[in-house]
Amino acid sequence: MPSSTSSSDNAYPAVKTTFFDPEHVDRPIPARPWRGVLISALTAVILLTIGWEIYWRGKGYIPGDYKNDSGMWAHERRKATADATVVIGSSRAYYDVDVDLWEELTDVRPIQLSLEGTSARVTLSNLAEDESFHGTLIVGVTALLFFTQEGGKREDVLQYWRDETPSQRFDHRLSHILDRYLAFIDEQTRPKRQMTIAMLPLREGMKPRFDPRKLEIVTMDRNAEVWDRVMTDEVYREEAKQQWRNAFELFAPPPTPDGSPPPPMPDEAIDAVIADVNADIEKIRTRGGDVVFIQPPYDGEFAMIEDNGFPRERFWDRLLEKTDSAGVTFKDHPEMQTLYLPEWSHLGPRDAEAYTRLLAPALYAELEKKKADRTAR
Amino acid sequence: MLFNSLTFVVFFAIVVALHSAPLPWRVKKFNLLIASYLFYAAWNPPFVLLLWISTAVDWKAAQWIYNSDSKARRRLFLTLSLATNLGILGFFKYGEFLLENFQTLMAAIGVAYEPPSWSIILPVGISFYTFQTMAYSLDVYLKRAKPADSLLDFSLFVTFFPQLVAGPIVRPSQLVPQFAEPKRATPPQFYWGLGLMTIGLFEKIVLADSFLAPAADAAFGAQKALAPLDAWTGVLAFSGQIFFDFSGYSTIAIGAALCLGFALPNNFRFPYAAIGFSDFWRRWHISLSTWLRDYLYIPIGGNKKGRIRTYINLMITMLLGGLWHGAAWTFVIWGGLHGLYLAAERLLREIVPEQKWFSGWPFKLAMALLTYFLVNITWVFFRAQNFGDAMTMLASMFALAKAPEKVLYWNEIIPAFLVITGMVATHWAMRSTTKEAVIEKAPAWVIAAIWAFMLFMLVITQGSDSAFIYFQF
Repeated sequence: MPSSTSSSDNAYPAVKTTFFDPEHVDRPIPARPWRGVLISALTAVILLTIGWEIYWRGKGYIPGDYKNDSGMWAHERRKATADATVVIGSSRAYYDVDVDLWEELTDVRPIQLSLEGTSARVTLSNLAEDESFHGTLIVGVTALLFFTQEGGKREDVLQYWRDETPSQRFDHRLSHILDRYLAFIDEQTRPKRQMTIAMLPLREGMKPRFDPRKLEIVTMDRNAEVWDRVMTDEVYREEAKQQWRNAFELFAPPPTPDGSPPPPMPDEAIDAVIADVNADIEKIRTRGGDVVFIQPPYDGEFAMIEDNGFPRERFWDRLLEKTDSAGVTFKDHPEMQTLYLPEWSHLGPRDAEAYTRLLAPALYAELEKKKADRTAR
Repeated sequence: MLFNSLTFVVFFAIVVALHSAPLPWRVKKFNLLIASYLFYAAWNPPFVLLLWISTAVDWKAAQWIYNSDSKARRRLFLTLSLATNLGILGFFKYGEFLLENFQTLMAAIGVAYEPPSWSIILPVGISFYTFQTMAYSLDVYLKRAKPADSLLDFSLFVTFFPQLVAGPIVRPSQLVPQFAEPKRATPPQFYWGLGLMTIGLFEKIVLADSFLAPAADAAFGAQKALAPLDAWTGVLAFSGQIFFDFSGYSTIAIGAALCLGFALPNNFRFPYAAIGFSDFWRRWHISLSTWLRDYLYIPIGGNKKGRIRTYINLMITMLLGGLWHGAAWTFVIWGGLHGLYLAAERLLREIVPEQKWFSGWPFKLAMALLTYFLVNITWVFFRAQNFGDAMTMLASMFALAKAPEKVLYWNEIIPAFLVITGMVATHWAMRSTTKEAVIEKAPAWVIAAIWAFMLFMLVITQGSDSAFIYFQF
């Protein structure tokens, strides 16, 4: 390296400095017909990728089913400010509320922030802390998640939303382009995912894991509906139900030492959850917003678990009463009870539309009624 | 910006296009510098300030050192450079650790001290670029090199995006001269650069994240006593994950630089074929081990101050090397174990006379496997969340844990063992050669088939969402 300064110190190297580890910096380039090699490799990759795309389309995957990742949630979360109408909850509120149809019916487009396998409480707290939000919050209640945990499977989206880097935002936009045109771009088709769900024998003493299969397709602004394959493929549908059974077995509270069923959730614990929820609701109401609860339909083995473990009087009714909130449960609406739930927990696409048509007017009516009640008091 | 992201694909295509355009060399260097700042700002824009501080301080300090005849003044300017770099590193990386240990110390002497909560975000790659810039001031101080001619070249040396956040840690004398004259990749360099980037991405996205991370994460995430098969699978999987993750990054960095016409040093040479620990450290994270050798081990005396001091110096170097990785005692233990291994190896070499059968392959293979086994013991401390978890994992590995549980399914165990077996066999087969030498001899159709396979796997894996492990260091 030539000197840039004049110095009397002649102990410095007088000529360009050589590398300390020349053998590691002198990069030999293998002499191969690289151009031909690269063209051959790219041709093979293009052909293989076309084959891969055809294979997954044959399995029911479609282009335009967007990746339901943290980037997508963060994008929608940024819209949830001012007087926005926002849906939060678990997968039932996510798949069963048709956002497009809601807009058509009410001229209000709700922002969909529900998270699969996650209690609505985590998003409720987040929006309650956000001073910029004073809109209407539609809170989906899946009792066995809502009352038993604060977070859940997707709670890390909040951390992502807070820490999202500029390059992650840009990446999210770019990945949407691929999602729009390629069916195989899906979490489920990744080799890692395929290895996880491969049917291999269980090791002795291990229980099957709870690992829900793909259930939904999602549009760019998180409007989700149950995937067609769940409706049409009986084997796949049975597999989806089997996963719920696995969950019931894995997460069921242990029986008491004498073998009798586990005790129900104590009233104090329920009240503690409701008190936390109420504190968050009060923050939103103080700013001029409001909160309304919904309980979307379920049946089959979910009905056995939820109706026995979370009876309406002790949970749903208590929640509405102690938070002084409006609510719409499918149990009060016979026409909502006849809708089809292919795997006991989520409505099929047509039934989700029917549910939305029933829900939207009922919800606004309940909200108005509650407001009138409060004013009258 | 992550190498394994679509954003990087677009970014790199633009950088290569600009670098290939008919523009003056100085303009191209400006382009590279701006691209490097953008690359870094894509994580957290304000942290670019740290790069500027580091650049400005070391640029001036090196000039002052060089122009100064007084030993005291030279030392003063070196101290300024070291204090700035180590100060930045200490504040962001070790602040919380020091505070926690201070609190523990106070508690031990009966003083209840509650420090304020520490919510400082660690700037990505801070340990890498601070070491790189410190090398510059130290080289000038130790009269190993003269200061750079141009601030532009020096700034580019500090921020050159391929190796900015996770190395290889480059010496000024390795990179600065490359900026002096126009550089553009020849077609073979460009193609081979793309080949290296493909290999690196394949290592990271397919092998580390898809095949090995599930087993390692499940085993170490369980934080409880495991059945021996689960514990060993988790630890072996992590040994592969950390290698493919870090080697993958280095290979992409080397490939990206080569596509632009620059040469970066190798950082790995099939380390799991190492026979002994001095061999291991000539093969693992070479740019850090040589940095520690040249700027720490040798300056504190190396092996020139007697036998005992040599062992002490080895331990100091490895303990600090451990701490470089992270602000936790588990990293210190990791470094300490490596120091002990190196010391034990040195001692054995001194006291055990050389035997003829030492040079036979059965002995070498046995020693290589023993080295790999001992390295795996150190990985337990490197990966565990805390000392307690590490001890539980070690007890689990040797069937000493009480009430062990099975947490891994065959779905994680089989892929992990397939990849680990392949990795160790490949390292052994490649022990005395290089990728370049093997490819030079391979038929063109085989290279095309392997390249196509790796690219196809990258396409169907659809990238990965996880950052490189070494970014946190």
